[in-house]
Amino acid sequence: MDKIAQEVDELYKANFGKIVASLLYASSSIDPETAEDLVQDSFASALTDWKQNGVPSNKVGWIYKVSKNKALNRIKRDKRVEALSERTKVESFELRFSDSATNDQQLTLLFACAHPDLSPKSQVVITLKYVLNLKVDAIAKALCMTIDGIDKLLFRARQKIKEERILLRESHALALIPRLPIVHKIIYLTFNEGYKSLSNDQILRNELCEEALLLNKALLDSSLANKDTLALYALMLFNSARFESRFSATGDLLDLEQQDRSLWNQDLIFMASDFLRKSKDDAASSYHLEAAIACVHCTSRSFESTDWRTITGLYARLLKDYPSPFIELNYAIALYYYGDKESAFSILNELQRHPFLSQYYLLNSALGKLHRLEGNVVLARQYLVKALDQTHLTKERAFIQRTINEL
Amino acid sequence: MEKFMLIVREDLKKIGKLTPEERFASGPDMLDWLKSLAESGHYVTGQPLAITGKYVTKDGVFSDGPFIEAKEGVSGYDIILAENINQAVAIAQTCPMVMTGFAVREVRPFQEPLFPSKKPKPS
Repeated sequence: MDKIAQEVDELYKANFGKIVASLLYASSSIDPETAEDLVQDSFASALTDWKQNGVPSNKVGWIYKVSKNKALNRIKRDKRVEALSERTKVESFELRFSDSATNDQQLTLLFACAHPDLSPKSQVVITLKYVLNLKVDAIAKALCMTIDGIDKLLFRARQKIKEERILLRESHALALIPRLPIVHKIIYLTFNEGYKSLSNDQILRNELCEEALLLNKALLDSSLANKDTLALYALMLFNSARFESRFSATGDLLDLEQQDRSLWNQDLIFMASDFLRKSKDDAASSYHLEAAIACVHCTSRSFESTDWRTITGLYARLLKDYPSPFIELNYAIALYYYGDKESAFSILNELQRHPFLSQYYLLNSALGKLHRLEGNVVLARQYLVKALDQTHLTKERAFIQRTINEL
Repeated sequence: MEKFMLIVREDLKKIGKLTPEERFASGPDMLDWLKSLAESGHYVTGQPLAITGKYVTKDGVFSDGPFIEAKEGVSGYDIILAENINQAVAIAQTCPMVMTGFAVREVRPFQEPLFPSKKPKPS
């Protein structure tokens, strides 16, 4: 690839989604597929034009301008066909264009993706695509889905966007505020996807976490944020503080007990604690409770000296308001370390009867680990072997295999 | 958020011939979907149902019931929380069983029962 082609390729990777998003935002007359075509076209124009006339100083601006003109032409053409009062339409369209795709626009778009009629998965997928500019194969990788599955979700979401002009509803603050919980959820899920050890692509994972933090920061800087936004920020910062310590020098996965606490980023923990303090509210959201749990972990000197009493209390509250078998699993583990082994095992045994959770490797690896601590080596091995069969993720498998070897 | 039941409907006659192992081995993997719903706080609970049961009417109790004859009978359910029925439908559309055409889902909102109070209201 020659130098210009390479340059265009890099620009494409970094800006394609943003420019598409800005076109969608600019006009209700453009549907996502058309916008993608137009921007694709503009990148192709850049390649030929720059080879002839040299590379402009503001490269993104150039492509943005060309895309905008192509869009305007397209709309004029369509309007002529429709024979509508073309002048007013085009003028108002012009007005919505800002000079660049700013972060504000990113935020607006994020709220658009938080349309309450889309499934949570689709919301995350279109956010990754249109707000964070990820390609379909990267999204598939990040969410551990097939490209085909992502395409299906995108197809449905696009239809919805087209039919209901979702990206274009007038976005007054008052209309956006009811969507704030969904926006929080999208940011939370994006961070989670990055934080999981699912994909082996470390860079991709770090990026997702960073993007989630940046979106949350933009939200905090806007007038739309509330106390939950602060709590969510605290939660993500606490987890970011432990980011590096989750893997050993050789890249192996480490659990909380094995992590070197001196690697935890104290600045981030300090910042997170500050945000958690500021987030105090009459009612605690799930973010408040999860951030509080993360706070207890991050501020205890050692695994042994963890305040399990507080943690079990927080999990119990979480379960009361947000019932989920997956939270129950964590609650049971906390109960065990708190010393209430009987309740812990009774919850875990109950969860094993759950048709799907019994297939879940974290339940079986937790059972394996706790039985091992109890000295039931045979039972421990049984559960761990079961868990080993239930995950195909290399790092997770290696982690479980190591635990089995240590028996 | 509101509560919805996503009822699984599939060909009971077909799965009635399978052993439970075969039945679940033949379907797509549901765990990732459930996990993603749990992570986003939309999942409450759910379970497959056995194929045979008892059918109760005012005239008595019949074994097996007519379910097995119905082509698309209820074979399981999930209870979820969603913003509205449209989102519940969108969630149901992402179910692996639906995406692969293995089964269909019926989406039903929960209705708060209204029991007319017979006691006089305390003044």
